[in-house]
Amino acid sequence: MKQAKPFAESADPLLIETFRALVEAICRDQQMRAEPDDSIKADAASQLQVHEYLIWVLDHSLSLVMGMGLTVIPQAAATATLLNVGASQFIAAGKAQDPQRAAIQGSSFASLSPTDRIRTLSMLENLICDLGALPVPYQNNGELVRFVVDYLTRLTMFGYYSEWSAYGTSRLATPNERELEHFPDGWKQVEYPGVALGYRALSGYLLKIERNGGESTIV
Amino acid sequence: MFDADVIVIGSGGGGAVAAKELGEAGLSVLVLEAGPWYGNKKWENPNSERGAEWSSSYDDLDVGIYKRLYNSLENNMNDRASGVFRFGPADRRRTPWHRVMRQKGDIWQLSGVGGTTQHYWTQSPRAFPAAIDGIWPISYNTLIPYYEKVEATLPVHFAPTTPKEELFYYGAKKAGWSLNPTLNVTTPGYRPNPNAILPTNKHLMNRDYSMEELSNMEGCTLKGHCVNGCSVGPSVDKIAKRSTHVSYVPLALKTGNVSIRPNSYVIKILTAQDPKEGLRATGVQFRDTWTGEVGELSAQAVVMAGGCIETPRLWLNSELPYNEWVGRGLTNHCFDWVAGVFDEKELMSILGKPAVFPYVGHTSGARVDVPGTGIFQVSCLSPGLMSYLTYGFSEAGYAGVNPPDSGEPWDIRGRVVGPALKELMLNYSRTMTYLLLTDDETLYRNRVEVDPVLRDENGPIPVISYTPSKKTLERRHQLARYACETLKAAGAKTIIRSDTPFSFMLHLESTMRMGHVVDANCEAYQVNRLFIADNSVHFNGIGGPNPTLTTQALATRTAEKLALKYFQ
Repeated sequence: MKQAKPFAESADPLLIETFRALVEAICRDQQMRAEPDDSIKADAASQLQVHEYLIWVLDHSLSLVMGMGLTVIPQAAATATLLNVGASQFIAAGKAQDPQRAAIQGSSFASLSPTDRIRTLSMLENLICDLGALPVPYQNNGELVRFVVDYLTRLTMFGYYSEWSAYGTSRLATPNERELEHFPDGWKQVEYPGVALGYRALSGYLLKIERNGGESTIV
Repeated sequence: MFDADVIVIGSGGGGAVAAKELGEAGLSVLVLEAGPWYGNKKWENPNSERGAEWSSSYDDLDVGIYKRLYNSLENNMNDRASGVFRFGPADRRRTPWHRVMRQKGDIWQLSGVGGTTQHYWTQSPRAFPAAIDGIWPISYNTLIPYYEKVEATLPVHFAPTTPKEELFYYGAKKAGWSLNPTLNVTTPGYRPNPNAILPTNKHLMNRDYSMEELSNMEGCTLKGHCVNGCSVGPSVDKIAKRSTHVSYVPLALKTGNVSIRPNSYVIKILTAQDPKEGLRATGVQFRDTWTGEVGELSAQAVVMAGGCIETPRLWLNSELPYNEWVGRGLTNHCFDWVAGVFDEKELMSILGKPAVFPYVGHTSGARVDVPGTGIFQVSCLSPGLMSYLTYGFSEAGYAGVNPPDSGEPWDIRGRVVGPALKELMLNYSRTMTYLLLTDDETLYRNRVEVDPVLRDENGPIPVISYTPSKKTLERRHQLARYACETLKAAGAKTIIRSDTPFSFMLHLESTMRMGHVVDANCEAYQVNRLFIADNSVHFNGIGGPNPTLTTQALATRTAEKLALKYFQ
């Protein structure tokens, strides 16, 4: 299990930037988009470190018996490569509609505007790409590509709108050791009050079941 | 000679019921469960320490441990990779157990005592009679006494009304649906959900009682965390939401005849050739998920209840006799999901309140049943789960990239991202969401197999394939129209149809079908003394209603038949 601080220090910058760009494309807000320089650091989604959630989950989801025994198979690196190869193909096909930034840490995906990143995901999802040029396990595996585009989108939303980011410095610890450090930002944004013991919200019963002996009647 | 009269594999929706019924019949029962046990003194820290091997006493149950672990935080509880609720070993440092599914979708199944009922929403409707009579090997009337027994035991009650149900009923009436006050649904209409949740605490509206007090008393407090794990109640067996580990498992332990061993993955059904009976089950081989040690237990009969994926997997990995229907005929209710966003002003005029309050009340409290087509039920979740089911999970791609549908009662179909997502999510508290359950046609091609190459520590892993029929998709489309028209009638300003991936697997059924793999008593045709008590024995998708109650009724009946045939 990774701890937050060593992970941030040791993680591959290309991996980080690719997933940061993905999260920004999915969870950016109007205000961020309006900023002319589109600075990634200013983005609320990346402040919540949701990209680390994606990396963590992708690297902790699969074990198979390989050789002598059960082996964890990390999937974040291959998935980042999928996005970057997809973006390169998108750019090469002349499909980019917005100006590109210089590739950040070598990430073609991050060089695209957020909207073009979504178009890249859509291109991959519709398999309008050279599947043979994708990394293993996505190479010539269209169904897995389709699955992962959908998966990345929903996983980003679950990371962003659940309490994950509020685990703060413990967010990358073993799940048992994570502790909430503050009220989750995603919940605050949507006015979710958080975990409650109950609500005094009963306004009655439309129907009731009455049981007498072995039989039931509706009243 | 035998370790027990009966071994039950799995302690979820069906296995726990079979164990309790068999225990009450006086038989000695051993239950093997692959996942952890939450709420038992013998496993104080079930996700990080191995703890004991067996528990067989009601006195082992501990609501303090249960409440500490069930903290209702949606990511902690429901993260598919590492959550308290997942299909994986108890040790959360480890990855979940993998299933191969080469298509969009997800499989929401849980390991652990209680199985998937730990996070189910408790909808407990009976099957549509029209989906049973003349189709199943047994009639709907045969099921009724068993339905009655399970409904009384859990118990099942109609859901209370909170703002979201009030809004649902308002829309349903305006859209022309009429109230259907029945448990036996033969005509279309709306009704509260029959849910396995204790009635609302009678003191809930009395401010003399604090919420802290109420949450430790008997009765639902409408806290809205059904999906993230209910923790309301004074003791494990009085928890408001009636997952089987708080309902049937305590009753099973009370018989004094049932022992349960969590963290034990059954990897093989053991059989022998009996001179009189022919091939018969004699026991199981299992693997301790903490130590990796493999053990064997013997019994006079075995009940498989690991669910629609694990039961055929276990059959195939045990190399039991070939049957062309093992793993075949998978149905899944081919879900869809729609949402309506309301204006505060509109809500004030209908409810006298400024919001839908999607986080209040039963997770799902009301439904419209349409026999022959399916069901739509109001179903509202915490924001992380709601956001991805509504805006992040789709067959239709990204809504912003695709052209809008014209002439349909939804404004958006497909995933919503970027500023549009943020803006819609700002309306979370004014958004009502529905789950749609389709009357799913049973097809041979939809299946569970085992991978010829890939293995985990428990053997070759399952491969799931599901492609709905044209008829199923037509019904689903019609349901989506009905559901969105109802939202429109209620006054929703923006309507979203997620067009959920077909393989969002929650209501898996019919992979070991009665009449094909098992007989009308749910005993395998080809292996005597081997019974099945999970959703896999359903002949079809029961017309669309949530399957758990039917599995529980059948498990009750199967236990009765088993005891009668082999122990009298």
